[in-house]
Amino acid sequence: MGLGQEMRLNRIFDQRDGRAVIVAADHGMMLGPISGVQELGKTLEKVIEGKPDAILLSPGQAEDLYHLFMGRKAPSLLVRIDWTNTFRDRTYTLPVRETFFSSIATPRDALKLGAHAAVAYLFIGHEDEGQEARHLALVSKYASECARAGLPLIVEPMPFGPRVNKSNYTELVATSVRVAVEAGANALKVPYTGDPESFRDVVRASAGIPILVLGGYRALSRRDLLDVIAETLGVGASGVVFGRNVVQASDPASVLRDIRAIVHDGRPVRDVVAGGDLAKPTRLRVHPERCSGCQVCTAVCSFSHEGVHDWNASRLRVEGKWPGPFKPVTCTQCERCVAACERKALSRSSLGHVGWEAERCNLCGKCVDACPLRVVAIHDSKVKICDLCQGVPECVEWCSRNALVAMA
Amino acid sequence: MNMMKLNGRGYAGKVLYLNLPGGERRCEDLREEEAKLFLGGKGLGAHILCQNLKPGVDPLSPQNILIFATSPLTGTIAPTANRFCVVTKSPLTGTFLDSHCGGSFGVGLKEAGFDALVINGAAEELSILVLEDGEVELRGAHGLKGMTTLETEREAKRVLGDGFQVACIGPAGERGAPIAGVFSEMRAAGRGGAGAVMGSKGLKAIAARGSERVGVYDGEAFTRASWIAHRMIRMHEVTARHLPQYGSANILETINETGALPTRNFQTGTFEYASEISGAEWRRELWARDTACGRCPIACSKVAAVKEGPYRVEFTDGPDYESIWSLGALCGVSAKDAIAKANELCDLYGIDTISVGNIVAYIMECYEKGLLKEGDVDGLEPTFGSRGAMVALVDKISKGTGVGEFLQNGVKRASEKFFAEKGDGAFLKLALHVKGLELPGYDPRAAQGMGLGYATSDRGGCHLRGYTAGQELLGYSGGANPLRTEGKAKLVIDRQNEKAVVDSSGICFYAFFAQTLKEVRMLVDAATGLGYGSSRNLEKVGERVCNLTRLFNLREGFTSKDDTLPERLLREPMRTGPAKGIVVNLEPMLKEYYQLRGWDEGGVPTRAKLNELGLA
Repeated sequence: MGLGQEMRLNRIFDQRDGRAVIVAADHGMMLGPISGVQELGKTLEKVIEGKPDAILLSPGQAEDLYHLFMGRKAPSLLVRIDWTNTFRDRTYTLPVRETFFSSIATPRDALKLGAHAAVAYLFIGHEDEGQEARHLALVSKYASECARAGLPLIVEPMPFGPRVNKSNYTELVATSVRVAVEAGANALKVPYTGDPESFRDVVRASAGIPILVLGGYRALSRRDLLDVIAETLGVGASGVVFGRNVVQASDPASVLRDIRAIVHDGRPVRDVVAGGDLAKPTRLRVHPERCSGCQVCTAVCSFSHEGVHDWNASRLRVEGKWPGPFKPVTCTQCERCVAACERKALSRSSLGHVGWEAERCNLCGKCVDACPLRVVAIHDSKVKICDLCQGVPECVEWCSRNALVAMA
Repeated sequence: MNMMKLNGRGYAGKVLYLNLPGGERRCEDLREEEAKLFLGGKGLGAHILCQNLKPGVDPLSPQNILIFATSPLTGTIAPTANRFCVVTKSPLTGTFLDSHCGGSFGVGLKEAGFDALVINGAAEELSILVLEDGEVELRGAHGLKGMTTLETEREAKRVLGDGFQVACIGPAGERGAPIAGVFSEMRAAGRGGAGAVMGSKGLKAIAARGSERVGVYDGEAFTRASWIAHRMIRMHEVTARHLPQYGSANILETINETGALPTRNFQTGTFEYASEISGAEWRRELWARDTACGRCPIACSKVAAVKEGPYRVEFTDGPDYESIWSLGALCGVSAKDAIAKANELCDLYGIDTISVGNIVAYIMECYEKGLLKEGDVDGLEPTFGSRGAMVALVDKISKGTGVGEFLQNGVKRASEKFFAEKGDGAFLKLALHVKGLELPGYDPRAAQGMGLGYATSDRGGCHLRGYTAGQELLGYSGGANPLRTEGKAKLVIDRQNEKAVVDSSGICFYAFFAQTLKEVRMLVDAATGLGYGSSRNLEKVGERVCNLTRLFNLREGFTSKDDTLPERLLREPMRTGPAKGIVVNLEPMLKEYYQLRGWDEGGVPTRAKLNELGLA
């Protein structure tokens, strides 16, 4: 890597930890005016409050919004120098029928716009292998031009096209990463393979070139997002390039603060999700109107406590059958069970978690009778009672519809 | 291979063989090597069917075998894995049939102690089969006679008590209508006529419960794999937003824009009123609630209610994309209330909405072309777009009354009857089916790969065996040019093999939008300890199953000549939309398909291929 490339790359990745939090905001060129990028200037002002290390823009937007990158504390600017139709699934108009790509700027153009790095795709999986060859030639050309211009090249290698299938995808992520490295990438923007074990192979394929994980579609919950970031960092990723998850958020700065807390401060996800205060007592709140009756909560409750799938072992239940309505019924921590227990086998911790001590219990059933909601049960010679999973209730974590939430 | 028991490793470990009318039963251990070769669900069912059914049996005779199969993920926290499948020889097509259902009956079957239930023979009177903790009882069910699916399930649960899971048929299944499905929790194993086979065995319902608990091989790894699979569903646009918000009908307008929405009996691929029946419109006007199959975080199911007008519906499941399309665009109908009413009739009487919509559209075209007169169709005037005629015909087919008495036999038999009576070859040409199974909601002229998928699907004209529409029409995974045939053979084979794994593992096809085989492999290995180890090894299971069902169809007398499409799709150029002027160019795709499958020119798997797959 040349000096200019090294200096610029070091401005993007934080010197202290070698990591970066980057926001992608180049979607308009690929996907049209999706929410969040329509008034990009306004969105980015909010984004910058969250202190991203860099922002990725198209050349046109980089020219329009240059003022956001002025000043010593401003984020670095990354400029995309190519275009593709490949991400246009049916969410957007005109679903892609065949992947194409083209060059829209040179590394020198990007440099003139004040870029600290240029960003380009590299796809493998085209039906036409000639396309693959042309893409590699293009990226190699970018690499040599970038080297001449002293501009780092961030390559986004991805398996895309009809020859990618459900059994070769993960391997092809690693393969495309290696091809990008060999073609001269100085950093990589890579899709998460979904689990840390397989991603470790991807990191290995990168031969030490820093890997930034991309966000893709907008996640439903922030916890999932942060969870994924922590996992990838754990197996050697160097940060993230997130777009829709940030620019489409109602409060982009708060998302970025949480992401930075994971990437740069190394804080645990649970701690960040709980707003830094895990020591608060929690209670379950139910939103029955959101419930679809799927019973994931009851299955997870029984499996996490007992290790088997046993309806009777669940500490909550979902009432209602087709066509609904459905209603989750959970422990409200009214503590009538605790009060009813003459042998003090039930107790409540300072955080509100009810605990059961087998040695003190004679299975008399008074706690069961005392429960007004019938969510306490004796089954397999054990008292089954909601313990809020010691502060992070599994039913809440697994509910995809927020029908169950944990309230402080 | 170690001989550890399968019980507690995702499996119950036992298969129950039941002989009617006497009720002799035989319980066999599921062997580890069988499990590893065929996994469960479709694969296990295909294996059992091939081993136990004699070739050439009439599907509605007592000699046919009806199999209910679960998978090692059924009843676990793996997302969407609540499903069961019904495997038999189809009375509609005479081919292999697997039909899948999201209702909880499979969980009950497994908790009663069985991975699969294999029924041979027939009861002497209408009966309900009750399974509880390894015990089997056949009870007379005269009280259930003629009841709708909803009534049957409610009544069975009321009489039998808490905790029973029920699979049942409606009146159409009792009558042996070859388009009748098997229902559980108002979800249908709809296609291909499994409900008629169940009816022919005198079984109105099967109820199961038990104290067997589904355990897994490695609890920690299984929790982790389930979490990852759930999380991927929550992080993918299709499973986190499109399906929950607009159901499977979220794609309807896109399919129309790509010119692939079969309209007015496949006369064209664009429907001018498509925007009136889009998922967003259903959401805005008729959908009252979202519901989910057991353990499914997606909740693509909706509940529709029509509060006023001539087509009042208290509640009906969905309708889903295929039902909205078949009862709507295919019949030229855009009235959502009429579609909801027809959908309700199909669900309650227990028939397949795709088949019914095709039959109605066929009648409409025959009528408009002057081939049929009012007198042929009980005095109706079935023109395209007539909501009244559409609902009236669906009503007759559901109940098997009037003209419905022979229309309930499917579009192929109806067309053959008209041809025999009236002698006009047009009657045959206007019937859109492959091997007797009515076609689904993607016009293959606008998606060539779908055409190859229909022609080679093991149960006849089905979209869910080689779903290339994701790439060809919806732009997923970088797209694939829908009008070109190059590369489509490989695309179809990949999708078929993957889907066979999905159908053998018990998860839902929709979960697969967000996942790859890697996640299924992690779940299956953690649940079973069968040690597949890689996505490719699991894909091999899918390939094996596809070859096994092919062998079944060959032995039933099907040949490569049957791997074809209705003449309309091969000869009549598409009239409108992006595919205007195009027909399905099947021949080159099919030839390449056989080659890549390792089948000879006649579509017969080679000895080498069968050896490789352990099927020789």
